[in-house]
Parts: sequence; C-alpha cells; structure tokens
Amino acid sequence: MKQFLYLIIIAFVFASCEENISLDLPREDPRVVVDGYVETGLPPYVILSRSSSYFDPINPGALNSFAESGAFVTIYDGVKTVQLIELDTVVNGVSLKGFYAALDSVTKLPTMFGEEGRTYQLTIITKDNQQLSSTAKLQPHIALDSTWFKVQENLDSLGLAWANLTDPDSIGNCYRWMAKRITKDDLFLAPLGSAFEDKFINGQSFVFNAFRGQIPNSTKPDDIKEEAGLFKKGDTIIVKFCAVDRGTFEFWRDAETQISNNGSPFAVPSNIKSNITGGLGVFATYSPAYDTIIAQ
Amino acid sequence: MKKLIALFVLHFLLFNQIVLAQAPTPSKVTVSGYISDASTGERMIGAAVYFKEIEKAVSCNAYGFYSMSVAPGTYTIVFSYVGFVTNEAKYTLTKSQSINIELKPRVIETQEVIVSAQKQERNIQSTEMSKIEVGIDQIKALPALMGEVDVLKAIQLLPGVKSAGEGNSGFYVRGGGPDQNLILLDEAVVYNASHLFGFFSVFNSDAIKNVSLTKGGMPAQYGGRLSSVLDISMKDGNNKEVHGEGGIGYIASRFTLEGPIVKDKASFIVSGRRTFIDLFLREPFVPANSRIAGNSYYFYDLNGKINYTISNKDRLYLSCYLGKDVFNFRSPETGFKVKIPWGNATAAFRWNHLFNEKLFVNNSLIFTNYNFEFGAAQQQFDFKIFSGIRDYSLKSDFNWYPTVLHNVKFGMNYIYHRFTPTNVSARSGDVQFDLGEVKRYYAHDLAVYVNDDWEIDDQWKVSGGLRFSMFEHVGPFTRYIQDPLNTNNIIDSVSYKTGDKVKMYAKVEPRFNVRYQINNRSSIKASFTQNYQYIHLASFGSVSLPTDVWVPSTDKVKPQFSTQYALGYFKNLKKNTFETSVEVYYKTMENLIEYREGVTPDQDVKNNADNNFVFGKGDSYGAEFFIKKNQGKLTGWVGYTLSYTNRQFAEINYGKEFPAKYDRRHDCSIVLNYQKSKKWTFGAVWVYSTGDALTLPSQKYFASTTPPVSVGANGEINLNNNFNVLSLYQARNSFRQKAYHRLDISATYHGKKHKHYEGSWVFSIYNVYSRKNPYFIYFNVDGNSVDGNLSVQAKQVSLFGLIPSVTYNFKF
Repeated sequence: MKQFLYLIIIAFVFASCEENISLDLPREDPRVVVDGYVETGLPPYVILSRSSSYFDPINPGALNSFAESGAFVTIYDGVKTVQLIELDTVVNGVSLKGFYAALDSVTKLPTMFGEEGRTYQLTIITKDNQQLSSTAKLQPHIALDSTWFKVQENLDSLGLAWANLTDPDSIGNCYRWMAKRITKDDLFLAPLGSAFEDKFINGQSFVFNAFRGQIPNSTKPDDIKEEAGLFKKGDTIIVKFCAVDRGTFEFWRDAETQISNNGSPFAVPSNIKSNITGGLGVFATYSPAYDTIIAQ
Repeated sequence: MKKLIALFVLHFLLFNQIVLAQAPTPSKVTVSGYISDASTGERMIGAAVYFKEIEKAVSCNAYGFYSMSVAPGTYTIVFSYVGFVTNEAKYTLTKSQSINIELKPRVIETQEVIVSAQKQERNIQSTEMSKIEVGIDQIKALPALMGEVDVLKAIQLLPGVKSAGEGNSGFYVRGGGPDQNLILLDEAVVYNASHLFGFFSVFNSDAIKNVSLTKGGMPAQYGGRLSSVLDISMKDGNNKEVHGEGGIGYIASRFTLEGPIVKDKASFIVSGRRTFIDLFLREPFVPANSRIAGNSYYFYDLNGKINYTISNKDRLYLSCYLGKDVFNFRSPETGFKVKIPWGNATAAFRWNHLFNEKLFVNNSLIFTNYNFEFGAAQQQFDFKIFSGIRDYSLKSDFNWYPTVLHNVKFGMNYIYHRFTPTNVSARSGDVQFDLGEVKRYYAHDLAVYVNDDWEIDDQWKVSGGLRFSMFEHVGPFTRYIQDPLNTNNIIDSVSYKTGDKVKMYAKVEPRFNVRYQINNRSSIKASFTQNYQYIHLASFGSVSLPTDVWVPSTDKVKPQFSTQYALGYFKNLKKNTFETSVEVYYKTMENLIEYREGVTPDQDVKNNADNNFVFGKGDSYGAEFFIKKNQGKLTGWVGYTLSYTNRQFAEINYGKEFPAKYDRRHDCSIVLNYQKSKKWTFGAVWVYSTGDALTLPSQKYFASTTPPVSVGANGEINLNNNFNVLSLYQARNSFRQKAYHRLDISATYHGKKHKHYEGSWVFSIYNVYSRKNPYFIYFNVDGNSVDGNLSVQAKQVSLFGLIPSVTYNFKF
C-alpha cells in the first residue's frame, strides 16, 4: 500500500523530477551469500557468492570475482551426508564458479534427491574457513484445485492466471507461485507477491490470481510493453505451485518487499530475514505441484 | 475508575474553596474586563493592560479577559495591542470595577504589518520562554506553495521547529517526533493536521484568529505531549456587521461569512475551502469511458463557530471543524480500484464564566475524531483497512488573579479515548479471510494542574507548576501472547471485560520557569520541565502519513517521558524595533517506540500492534538564535538553529546510538515583508537545512528469483540467469541527503477599496531558483550480472521546481 501512496503523490506532482547522483557509501567487508535449493526429485544445489560494494559495477570478467569457489559444502538428509561438488558452468556464454551440486565427482550422477518430508542440513566451510549452516524441511506438496486464464476487462487478449486453492486445516502452510510459458520462458518465473502463507486463510478454499513473472531487469519486448506482467491468449502456461518451508517464505516475503520498496520514502529500509547462520541468502526448499493452462 | 471520580470530586472541592476564599480585601481593588476589536467585536488574545504609575502590566488570556488588583487610587491605564490605537485614560479606583475596552484598528498611510500581536516588551518581561505567537496577518503575507496560506508551514520557519520537508505532514520541535506536538483548534485536539499527505495544512487561514507555539518550558495547563503545543484559535465572528471574504486559488477556493446574530451579543462565522481539480476529471471534461475517468482527489475544510454573550459574566461558544480528503483511483489494465477517505472532525462547546473580578473559568466539552480508510478491490477481491482515534473530553481551566503579583492557573482535563488501530478485512468472492475481530483500545486520561506566575520583585519572576496525570487502559481488550522464540506464533491470549483495568499509570510532572530581568530591555530566563505522553504514533514508514496509527500506553508500552532544560537571553533593541533572543536547550526522552526491524503490517493482524514494538530513548540539544524586526516598512525575522538529535534502541542498529532522521545540524530561515505602498506588499522566505539522515544499502548481493537450474534435453544441468540484486543495510541513518534550501517570493496587489468591497491579487513564486531538493533516493539497476553489464545508479527524486501561482482574494 505504501508504494501505492507513493504513486499517488507522484501522480499529483507534475513538477517532480529526478536526476542521477553519486553517493559515497562506506566500504564494508563482503559477506558470504548462499543461494541454495532442495527440490523434490532433483539433486540439491547451492550457488555461493560474496556481497559487493553497492555501486561496484559487474563486468564480464568481474562476475567470477564475486563467486565463492573452493568451498567445502555438505548436505545431510537425516540418513546420509553427501558432499556437493563444484561444477564448471557456463551461463549465457560466461563461465561461472561457485556452483555446487549433489553429483558424483566422477560420473556426474546425482548422489541425493529431494524427498518430501525430509529435513536437510546444509554445512559450508569456505576457503578462508568461514562456517555457515542452515536447516530446511521439504514440505509435502499441495496441489491447486483448478487453474485457468481470464482476459482482463478492457484488454483484448491479455490477462492473468487464476487458481483455486484449498488450504489444509493446519496453520503454518507457506506457498510460492511460479509459472512458465512453453517456448517463451526458459525458467519458471515468479511475480512480485509470489510468496504467501495461510495465516489469514487457514483451512479455507478460495480463488486468487497471479501476474506473470519476469527475469529481473528483463528487456524482452513482452516485459517492457503492454504485455508486461500479463499472459496472452494462445500461451501454454505451466504452473509450478510450491509448498515451501517458513524460512523460504520469510526470505522471499522480505525480498519482494525490499525490491518493491526500492527507496520509497514511505518504507523503512530493512534487511531480508535469512535462514543462513553465518551468512546471507536462503537455503530454500520447493515442493512443487504442476498444472497446465491453455490460455484461450 | 473510582479513583478518577474521587479526583473529580477533589477537584471541585478545591475549586469551591477558592471561590469561597474570594472575599475582597479592603486594601485592594480589582480592575477586570475584556478587550476587543472595535470593528469586529473579536476578543483580543494577549492584548496588554499597563498601569503607568506602578509600572505593572497584565495581558489578556485566550478569551480576551484581564484582571489586576491594585491599591485604591488614581491610575493611568493604557490598553494596547499592536496594530490598534492605544487607549489611555485616568481612572479613579475606589472599589473593584469592570472596564471593558474596544480598541480601534490603526489606519495609517502605509498600513503597517503586524508581526506580533503581543505587547512590545512582553518577550522580556514574561517568564515564558520558547514560546512564539504569530499573527495570522503575518502568515497571510508569506509566500505559499500554490498560493495556499499555510499555518503549519509558517511556524516551521521559527527556530527550533523543523519542517519534515515537502510531502510530509509532520513537524519536529527540538528533536521530538511528529506525534509529540499537541495541536489544538479551539481547545480540540487535531490528530491529523494536513491534507494530501502533508502538502497543505487543514487550517483555513480565513477562519483563524491567532496561532501560538510553545516549544519548551510548557506551563502546567498543557500536557499529554512531550515536545510542543500549537494552539490555534478560531475567529469568533464579527458581532457588529455581516462580512464575507474569500479567494480563488490555484488548487482550492475559499469562502467565509461572518456576522452578528444579535448585535454585540451573539455572532457566527462559517468558513469553507475545497479543492476543485476533481471537477475537471469528470464529464463533460473527461468522457466516462476514458482511461483516467474514475480517478479523482479532493479535500475540503469546513469551520463553523457561534458565540453568545449571556452577560458580562457568561459567554458560550460552539466551534466545529470538519475536514476530509478523498482519493479515488482505478486502473483499467488490472481492474484495480481504490478509495481512500480520511479526515478529522472536532466540536468544542465552551462556557466562559466570571465568578468575580479575580476568578475566570472556561469549561469545555470537546469531541474529536480522526478516521482513515483504505478500500481496494480487484476483480472478486475486496480489501479494507481502517483506523482512527476518537476522544470525548471535559476541561475546566481557571485563571485566578489573587494579587498584582500572582497569576494562578489551575484546572483539570479528562479525556475518554477510543483508539482503533489498523484493522483489516478482506474477502475473495464469498470467502471471508480470517483477520480477527475488530480491535479497539479504550482509556481514561485525567490530569489536574496548578501553575502560579509570581512576580517576586522587579528582577525576579517565577512560574512554577505541577501537573498530576493519570492514564488507565481499560477493557474490553484482548492481550495476545507471543511465543518468545518465534514472535510469529500467538500461543495464548488474555481477555479483559468492559471497564476492567488493564494497566494504570499515575505521574507527576513538574514545570518551572524563572526570569531575571536585567533592565527594561533585556532578561535571562531558564526553564525545567518534565512531561509524560500516554499516546503514541506508530509508523511503518520513515515519514508520517495518514496511515500511521495512534496507540495508547498499555501494559507493554510505557508512557513517553521527557525532561527539558532551557536557558535563554532576551534583548530588545532600538526601542523594541528589534527583538533578539538566544536559547540553548537539552532534552532527554524515554520510552520512545518504533516497530521492530522487518515487521510488516500483516503482523499486526490478529495480534496487538504493541507486540511488534521496540522501545528506546533519545536526546536532543542545541542553540537557537532569533532576531525579529517588528516595526517599520520592512519587517520579518532571521532564525538559526544548531542542533543534535540522537536515538538509541536495544534492538535497532545493533543497539548503537544513531541520529534521528530529522537530526539537522543547521537550520536557518529568513522571512521578510516589505510594505512598499498602500497598493503593494512584498514577501520573501529563504530556508536552509542540513539534509535528512538516511539509511542506504552498503552492499548488494544476489539471489535467484526462482530455482535457476533447468535440465537440458540430454539430461545436462543448465544454470540460468535469474539473479535479483538485493540490498544489505548496515548502520541506521548513517548517510546524509543533500542540504535543503529554497527561496520563495510573493507580491500582493491591493486593489482600490470600495465602500463595500475590496479585492487583492497575490502573486507568488515557490522555489525561485528551482533548487532540486531531495525528496527521496532510489536505485536503478540496469542490465544483468551474467551478461556482465549490470550497473546500479542512484537517482534522486525532487518534487517541486519553480511553481508560480496567482490567488485572488476578496472581502466585503
């Protein structure tokens, strides 16, 4: 709502203007950042990096300087402990370090899979001997009752994805919505507001809608023009509706708030709640249920 | 509650004692009465009565009443008020008598601007320090944003008072927060004093008589806030003849009508103001099917007052205020609709009674209400937030003038509060979300006080007072108990029935001012005051907004408490043409509240807001320099403040002390008025202040928005670019925005005066050199990390460049 108030003011202030400014922010020691995942049926993986000074630009050569390479990373799933191996990865043509996955170092076959109901313990020891840890549970999946597409009034072919959810009658369920258009998106993408919990809807059956997510700072034509945030007639949409644990929910609730606040004078700048001990970021668990919508 | 009733009884017993003790002493006679404006009948607040032979003076109270006891004899009594013809006459006083005086407005070749409505040496002679009165005429002569004369913006030009900047409703006095200012309109508390998120104040200048601000050394009759009292008096209404005035401005128009109901006995005033931009956002200007149809904003204010003089001893007043902002928004793309109405209503019924020539009382019955609502709908979703505060209060304020050396004020004030902190309701189609029951807090708030202004000798004068305040939070109330390990979990609740005591506080607040008069032209003053504040404004944002909610002191929230020491040197120069002062102050504040870091508004739902508060302390110190020129063609003032304001909360900023957002090292204002001729008046205001303290991210880091791995056709694992840039904040308020400065000018052209009509044009320019003052800073992220072209650019948004405006004002 605060963003909304901000919009109101801006709308009224025809004389407002903005300019680029340079700020001299204090330098602080970089901290280790965890971007870790356990997903049903997939080997767990972790991307490790370091935080950097706020205005340092990132050029092609510089990306790897933020990557946290050479760390000792293990995951315990209640039965066994496996070490995650660091892979040489190429992302969009750029080689990237700091990507660790639960694969065999020789065969490259998975050594562990995400299983619903298990609790995973992550332990990291970096090259400079910093220790980080986290624990997260892979929740049982909760499927949506139904999903559909509806054109927005006044808009010819564009609209939102809709779903009906019946929340189980036990408080504490947390969710994240993501979706992908076949042939148009490489990944499942989440719009702002994708993370929610059942605090106010416990045990109820209700309808909700979702905008279309995009890659951050995307410059694709359908992300910057009138199609931005909307699905279109003819899209085949795969919905990945995930049950997540509380740590994942809290991280994304705060991160989405921070992203949408971005300097708003109506918000107090605040840090994102992390479930990592000794570092930043999140060790996330995703338990998905899939649906397909043919938009027509 | 029984205790409260007992206190009431005690209070009235005490008052009876005093009434009974009023047998006049034969060695003294008392002169008392009212001073009013001969042209309108308006009672004159602060007009001076001076007894030449004994060199003693007294000034009128807020109802234009004065009283002075002297030995029988013949005296030259001078009645004066700046801008009015002084009335001087000899009186032979053999017994107590009433002298009511009407002063005529002074008509001179070039009309003199009234800078202050006080007796010229009052700033030297009174014990009051840290108090400033600004005449409404002076405020009207200042350049104003879009031509809307603004009382709140004018007082922010005084030293020690800081503007929160454009687009912010609060003001800050000596390092205190915006909730620490008591804003009174004819005795009624106004909780939200601005329109359009702070761009304009709710006070319509045409309906206002007088404005006074006390920023330190608060006398005992005021309480309930730590920092300041802004006391605004509405006009009573002309009791001689019917008059109207109004104006057509850039964004709003005004109209006021006043006149006698029964000549010299009863009068009325009604005054209205409304913006009109919304009238152009509908048919026929905007077709109903247009994209912008359905969007609108307006605000209005209505002031009304009637008074009736029953006799020389009794007078009744009824004053009302109603103001509202309404915002409508609709987006055809998303089907999103919003309606936000909010506003204040106040009503005060007052009865002035004169028991005898030495004892005056004003009894008030006051109602005040503030409501905020936010309703949003999108498709089958409905979402509503509402909050507010409603008070019923009863006040008795006595002025007792036992001898020429004493001026005693005593009284009591009782308020019954009903707080409605943020309540939310939401539904999707037929499904109602479970957002808990409507939460309310109820509280009794009682204070009794006594204050004596005692002139010990020609040099020494003291003003000492005690205020005894009690606050009781009562049921119905549900206390939710959080799991100490996970504050998200409510593990239990305790219910209180209607009237049950939840928590009670009883406190004593000493107030002390002393003056040492060096000579007729200079004095030194010092003050020591302690204040308690039982109500608190909880804000999620870093600026104050209508969405902020008032909450009472509870078992969890202790009353805010402050101690202030101030010392000042006051000197008048060139026959009172210049008033100068230097004041230094030191203030400590305890039990300040903030939301815990990272708390989001949803965490208040099905919970007590105060479960999410953290508590801390603050201090503030500084020096204020003030030079004011009262007379001549050129009038105005220069004020400069050097100050420091810090906060410390165990759970914020790792427990380390940090500067308050509005900690401003330097704050300066220059205000000038030049009366060139009968036709032309010019005004200029220049303000400068150190930039706000701000929390900015020190580092950035990455997290993929969604799982970034995809499995390729051959089973290979692909990592995709889906990185978000996130911010890491370290020290709170460790960064400074650029300094704020701005020049505004105005020119007023007074048209030819007709017998029954006069008009004037006000031309003003806001921000003459179009300074780009910072409003907020945001960060623009371009490119992405994997393509290697990611860059972060800080951008500063400024609100107003140069804004010219024209207003036409008329009177008949």
